[in-house]
Amino acid sequence: MNLITVKERLHQLISLESLHSWDIDEHVDFLTTLPEETREVVYEQIMAIWPVSYALCFAFLDQLPKGLTCLHHRQLSAWVNATLDIYEQSGLQVANRFLAAVETSFAGKQNGEPGLTFDQVKGRLQPYLTGLAGYEITLAHNEVSYTNTTTIYLPANVSKFSKSEDNFLLYKLSVSMQWAFLSCGLFRLQTPPEDQLIIALGNKYEHKWSNQQAWLQNFFAMFPLPSLAADLFLLAETVRATTFLKNELPGLDRDAEEIRQQLQKLRPDCSTLTGQEKIMEGLKQWILADTVNGGWATREEQIRKRAEQGLSTQKSPDASPYGSAQLAANLYADLTLLPGEYQSTMPISYVGILKPGEAEQAGQQRREKNRTHFINALAAILPKRSKIKEEAPAEGLAASPPSPLTESDEGTIIQPGREDESLRQPQSDNNQTQTYITINDEQLPLPESLQPLLREIRNDLGHIPQQYISSANQRAGSGISTGASPEPEEETNSNPNVNNYDEWDFRRNGFRKNWCTLLQKELQPVKGTFIAETMLKYRGQLRRLRHQFEMMRSQQRFVKRQRDGDDIDLDAVIEAHSDLLAGHPPSERLYIRLLRDQRNINAVFMVDMSSSTEGWISTAIKEALVLLCESLAVLGDRYAIYGFSGMRRSRGELYHIKHLDEPYNDTVRGRITAITPKDYTRMGPPIRHLTNLLAESDAKIKLLITLSDGKPEDYDDYKGDYAIEDTRHALLEAKNSGIHPFCITVDRKAHDYIAHMYGDVNYIFIDDIKKLPYRMPQIYRNLTT
Amino acid sequence: MTTRTEKISEHRIHTEPFYLPQGNELTIARTAFQNKLPILLKGPTGCGKTRFMQYLAWDLKRPLVTISCHDDLSTSDLVGRYLIKNGEAIWMDGPLTSAVRTGAICYLDEIVEARKDTTVVIHPLADDRRELPIEKTGELLTAPAEFMLAISYNPGYQSVLKDLKQSTRQRFVSMGFTYPPPALEAEIVSREAAIEQKTAAALVKLAIMTRSLMDAGLQEGASTRLLIHAGILIAAGIPTRVACRATITETLTDDHELLAAMDEMVSSIF
Repeated sequence: MNLITVKERLHQLISLESLHSWDIDEHVDFLTTLPEETREVVYEQIMAIWPVSYALCFAFLDQLPKGLTCLHHRQLSAWVNATLDIYEQSGLQVANRFLAAVETSFAGKQNGEPGLTFDQVKGRLQPYLTGLAGYEITLAHNEVSYTNTTTIYLPANVSKFSKSEDNFLLYKLSVSMQWAFLSCGLFRLQTPPEDQLIIALGNKYEHKWSNQQAWLQNFFAMFPLPSLAADLFLLAETVRATTFLKNELPGLDRDAEEIRQQLQKLRPDCSTLTGQEKIMEGLKQWILADTVNGGWATREEQIRKRAEQGLSTQKSPDASPYGSAQLAANLYADLTLLPGEYQSTMPISYVGILKPGEAEQAGQQRREKNRTHFINALAAILPKRSKIKEEAPAEGLAASPPSPLTESDEGTIIQPGREDESLRQPQSDNNQTQTYITINDEQLPLPESLQPLLREIRNDLGHIPQQYISSANQRAGSGISTGASPEPEEETNSNPNVNNYDEWDFRRNGFRKNWCTLLQKELQPVKGTFIAETMLKYRGQLRRLRHQFEMMRSQQRFVKRQRDGDDIDLDAVIEAHSDLLAGHPPSERLYIRLLRDQRNINAVFMVDMSSSTEGWISTAIKEALVLLCESLAVLGDRYAIYGFSGMRRSRGELYHIKHLDEPYNDTVRGRITAITPKDYTRMGPPIRHLTNLLAESDAKIKLLITLSDGKPEDYDDYKGDYAIEDTRHALLEAKNSGIHPFCITVDRKAHDYIAHMYGDVNYIFIDDIKKLPYRMPQIYRNLTT
Repeated sequence: MTTRTEKISEHRIHTEPFYLPQGNELTIARTAFQNKLPILLKGPTGCGKTRFMQYLAWDLKRPLVTISCHDDLSTSDLVGRYLIKNGEAIWMDGPLTSAVRTGAICYLDEIVEARKDTTVVIHPLADDRRELPIEKTGELLTAPAEFMLAISYNPGYQSVLKDLKQSTRQRFVSMGFTYPPPALEAEIVSREAAIEQKTAAALVKLAIMTRSLMDAGLQEGASTRLLIHAGILIAAGIPTRVACRATITETLTDDHELLAAMDEMVSSIF
């Protein structure tokens, strides 16, 4: 009866001659299972779709069972409306796909809880991770969670849970977990092949240790089933890292409790698995929620229980990665009692997988980078033991003169001792404490700026290798790195747009006279849409910036004790009166006047136009200039903009974009549009030129703001220490002429050298180039208020 | 003409303020005091500069006159002025003068906030002359041995207008203050806010995390003072996460992403 009415009704709605009854029979069957109320809603939807597209209507009926699993029948019409919108905009195929992917495309959004994408959470998680680690680890997305020790990869989206908070928590847990792996030293595990564990394994599985891959890979390769060994090792490390997280971040652990339970419920049923895979699945569930699903035979259960007991030992605070390796070997032996070809089961989503190979590679790169950084930075702060003469012997580094304190002939003067002893910390905590480094029995405090690097190296290697310190010491002692003097090229030019400047050579502690030639060039204005696009893109921020800068302009204040003014200064009058009574001549300054603060500031912006700014950075710099000019137009400070680049000492180039007194007009806009990356970054000559320019101007406060993306560097030997020292000297000259130099940089490695060049507080590092345009006017505002 | 001085005894510190030394700052300050040298404390906000001064004053048994500097602070505000009382002009010592007269410690907090012409007044006091000329009364005060001048500033401000002139700073024995090492900071927070050591340690952990965010756009990380505030709210029964949000994250920034990130740190730690 029910069946017949439904069929009749459907035929009424879908009246197509060529339609076979079996075309709709299956839908009829489904519809009869629905409650009356829902069915009525479905009829309504059919009425809405049918006139639009027959095919779409059938697609809707096809997907209806799926749709109703995740949608309430009241949401059906919204679903259909959305589908129709898409159909009208993008056609049948897209609409069909939309219908088919109802869970992700519609249901999630409809319930207000979509799956989260990586981009949505990155802004939040990146600073979170930086905070956790204390140094920068990049976040990126990939198919599964893992880390290569410099980057933590997370899935591109997470939609495991219906609530978006839970999905976010899963993201957060993944980040924290990977950080815990790094913090716990998972990738630091390394024992020599003579280690008894490895020898025992070699005997047992008749496999010889090879050094071909990353240590962990070599280790797993000792087993006949490397992937089982790897998975077991990861499980053991997961238990250890989870305990670590529990202690370090108890709040997260508490919050995550629930989603772990839920994740366990989403795991495959153990009953469907056999052998080792079943045990592994069971262990994963046990780690997640302390419970296991499915039916278990006694033997399997025994093995599993033993494994659980074994894994529990890694909860101890003294557990080590080596312990995990041992445990993995033991469990491996136990598990392989069961038959079967092992295939990895689905990883625990927030734990992800191990990629020791990638970690090794990234780790090596990072170690090398850190090593040079650390040595250079340390060498810069170590006292120069004695200056080496210009004609340094060819042996270079080894030829450092003997120090008065030690008579060691190798040139290394570190006190021999345990590795960690050269670095002493008064407190056992390894955060934020003053660190000392012992050289020659002398303790030198390490500057704050080296701390993050130190933390990173320590995290990586567990200690600071002696060799780093001795190299730095040698470097500091020799006072010279490499590189012969550049060839002097005679070139004179009487062109007024060409200036010659001296360059500072720190090796001889003196100037190279008239060493560099700086050509002033005009940047030909370019017409384009860049300015308009930028204005449109940042229109919101621009409004806010203008407002903020207006506030600065209208900084009015009452000045007291004036000879004339708008109002009587009561304090002054009383004082004058009492002075009179006390027998002193009273002051005549008895008035208050409203004074608009004179902003007597001249600022010159020096923009890096080196080739390294190609792409994003150049665009961001240009956008920043547009925003800055717009903001400054409100304020009325005098400012100039110059770009600089060049190649070799004979061709430094300074591009004029805006003079101090030039109004911000279309020509200037055109020149900003015309900024393009050119050659190299020889910073000395432009700084000296602009210093002269600023020094001649008559403002009370003179600012020289550099926008840069990296170290000073030129094609010839203007690089490394030489370039940094010359730039530093040029900046010192600027300071001596009463100019405040300031640097805005986007170079991640900036801390090591910028502070040395500009001084600790005279630079700002912008971690996200996209933020530069908006941040730049704000930095200017902070600087001048 | 009558002279009146402020009741300096009010500025005496009778009970020992809680202070845990970070290094050798006490020895240096005591030695500076004995040798009549002025001191300059520099360091980020809320790291214990003012508390150190209180402790030092207690330790040296001198009254402590604290002047918070601002840009309207005039020379008369420091030195003193005539006031009229019952038709008679009375000279009223300013805080600096009364500190010099009575041999107290005069502490000018955040000296860079004061106008430069005002700060020049302290110059003759800060070198070996140790004199304070009072223009109005024609007096030339010479500071007694017990008088000490101390100033503080925060070098982290990146404003060219708020920099200490070399002619000023080179008169002082300078002491750099930073946030205390974690264990010490935890103890300070625990004592000051009367909370468990464990909670205090967790607060310090949070502070260290926020301090790593300085490159990501945060101007300054959470100071010890903020941690103590958080601790006080926690001790008063406010849920930990709420207290941290109110005293730390919201205080530090308005940036949404940073706020969210710091909230995540809070919810991870507590």
